[in-house]
Amino acid sequence: MKKTLALLLAFVMVFAMAVTAYAEPAPDTKVAVFWYAFSDAYLSTVRAELDADFEAAGIDYQDFDSNNNQGTQLEQVQTAVTNGFTVLVVNLVTSGSADAAQQIIEAANGLPVIFFNRAVEGDGEEHTVLDAYDNIAFIGTDAPEAGHMQGKMIGEFLVENFDDVDLNGDGEISYAMFMGDAANVEAIYRTQYGVEDANAVLAEAGKPELVYFNANNTDKYQLDPNGAWSSAAGNEFMGTNLAEYNEGNGNMIELVIANNDDMAIGAISALQAAGYNLGDGECTKIPVFGVDATQVAKDAIADDTMTGTVKQDNVGMATAICGAVAGVAGGEAVADVVAAVAEEDEIFSVADGFTNKLFVAYAPYTGTEAEE
Amino acid sequence: MEKSNFFARKRQEYLALDRIDRRRYWTDGLLNNALYILMALFIIYTAIKNPNFVKPGSIVNMIQLAAVSLPMALGIGGCIVLTGTDLSAGRVFGLAAGMSAAFLQNRAASKLIFEKLPATSGGWIIAVMLLVMLAGAVIGVVNGFFVAKFSLHPFIVTLATQLITYGFILMFFQINGNGGGPISNVAKEFKDAVSGPCFKIAAWNVSIPWYVIFALILVVIMWFVWNKTRFGKNMFAVGSNMEAAKVSGVNVFMTTVLVHTLAGALYGFAGFVEAARLGSVTAATGLNNECDAIAACVIGGVSFVGGTGNIGGIVVGVFVLRIIFVALNMLGINPNLQYIIKGAIILAACSLDMRKYLVKK
Repeated sequence: MKKTLALLLAFVMVFAMAVTAYAEPAPDTKVAVFWYAFSDAYLSTVRAELDADFEAAGIDYQDFDSNNNQGTQLEQVQTAVTNGFTVLVVNLVTSGSADAAQQIIEAANGLPVIFFNRAVEGDGEEHTVLDAYDNIAFIGTDAPEAGHMQGKMIGEFLVENFDDVDLNGDGEISYAMFMGDAANVEAIYRTQYGVEDANAVLAEAGKPELVYFNANNTDKYQLDPNGAWSSAAGNEFMGTNLAEYNEGNGNMIELVIANNDDMAIGAISALQAAGYNLGDGECTKIPVFGVDATQVAKDAIADDTMTGTVKQDNVGMATAICGAVAGVAGGEAVADVVAAVAEEDEIFSVADGFTNKLFVAYAPYTGTEAEE
Repeated sequence: MEKSNFFARKRQEYLALDRIDRRRYWTDGLLNNALYILMALFIIYTAIKNPNFVKPGSIVNMIQLAAVSLPMALGIGGCIVLTGTDLSAGRVFGLAAGMSAAFLQNRAASKLIFEKLPATSGGWIIAVMLLVMLAGAVIGVVNGFFVAKFSLHPFIVTLATQLITYGFILMFFQINGNGGGPISNVAKEFKDAVSGPCFKIAAWNVSIPWYVIFALILVVIMWFVWNKTRFGKNMFAVGSNMEAAKVSGVNVFMTTVLVHTLAGALYGFAGFVEAARLGSVTAATGLNNECDAIAACVIGGVSFVGGTGNIGGIVVGVFVLRIIFVALNMLGINPNLQYIIKGAIILAACSLDMRKYLVKK
């Protein structure tokens, strides 16, 4: 009996190996794409687009899951280099760390590296990485742009609906802010400008500034302790907040701002558990804003449970990466490739002062825009 | 001479077996060594599918990867010998990595965690190494004390210290207005001393970094500790039967505390290496690293039953995990499937290995 079991286990291992049998032999251009975490909702939509683009272009590629661990990512890059990949596309785990980026570039041993989405240079160290090497590029978003856009959207929404949003009629809007990751520059800017820009719009319309719901919290945000931008964190924080701050106590949170859609969705489900934002047209709807325009968020906006988000263009991002990879693999200089991609569409632009940094534009999304 | 005698005797023994026993001899032999046989098949298969896998650069890469994970596995192995485990390993590693990076920042950098520190010299690098090992050891003492004094299961104790350590990590990353951001700008001297090349093999165009040598030294030290010292023997005695060890005069309390302390110091060292290797450390560094270390030990035959295991097994276990990691990547397996395959392999490998002990009992 035991022996049969042991044999069975041996077969499991053989089976595990057999599963691997469909691996294809490699042609000349081999692209390795390193994702900071497969579990990230927005980047998964980029991955689906990018995989399709690579297949359509006949480019041989392989995806790697760095599982939110910079050490794992470095090891994967080292392994990919020894495995004969020719172009590396890297979604850096430690966003905004020049040192982490340099370690990757050094491990790449002269191969072209295209970074995307997560910044390779932090605040105040611009040009330290991108100018130091000649065959690297960065494709991403202008970090503060999403925050500015979100803030402006919130401000405009509030100017139009101020009295509806101000549930307790005290003439002020109290808000909650959920931050995705303390170490991420995008998160830092979104946390800052999401409120600042909204206040600017409100001030222009002669309305009072937003007030953070909890006067004891001087940070004025609640941070995902794992830096994972997760809906679980949004949900737990919001649920806890609602136990203390609610209409019964006359101090209900009247506005929710989240760094990304996942956290916004988590907050919405906590609101729903408390009887808000059910989308039935009868209950009170607390305006919730996110960033990314993931499918879930778009559905939530269509169902009238969420108010607005900022669209991070996954299709555009994938198009830009695929175009850059094709150019670099063809042996063209990185600066020429980036310039050529920027020509392709008005949502792409080369960053000021750089030749190898390409921005993909954000767009506001409240469900009223024409869908492509 | 002795060797040929050995084989001759084995041959005699084999010839003396009847048909059924001979069959059992082969099936037992196959199953007891199934892990090695299957690994060999796996390596051959991968090498045929992708010849890059066995090129010198790739082999050196695998050795480097194994050297990175070895210190933590060597530490956690002792806890498993005591029938315990250590969930705090990853966070201790993260704290040590963060401290190493902060204490060994490039003095010329604009943003410094600590402004008044000595210039980066060899002596200071060693001092920081000892400091972070001490920090790890202190957490180890706490782990060991609560395990031994209150007979708490190490799972619970280290679950608690994992959380406590994470709290310290978060606080540490907020020192001097860092605000929880990554600690980077690690001094070049530090990187060179740890992850810089120790020597180059020009013919293969590869270089061996210093931390591979460090890992080798650690393996030798740990082998000595486990096999040649009284402490090592006591550790196995406590792990296999605590009551019996107590009766025969082993200081169970001291042994337990020391095993955890040594483990903590090793996690500290592993974090020190990681800081140099990555050049940038975040508060999340080290999260869940203990899982791979525990898996490596168990694959290498350090049993949760307690009192069994050896250093050689841990080294094999670490290599098996790393070879699987590299091979799955080299075979171009979809990452979604990689987790499933890795899980299946760990499960199968451990079950096959456990079978040996079950049969013995």
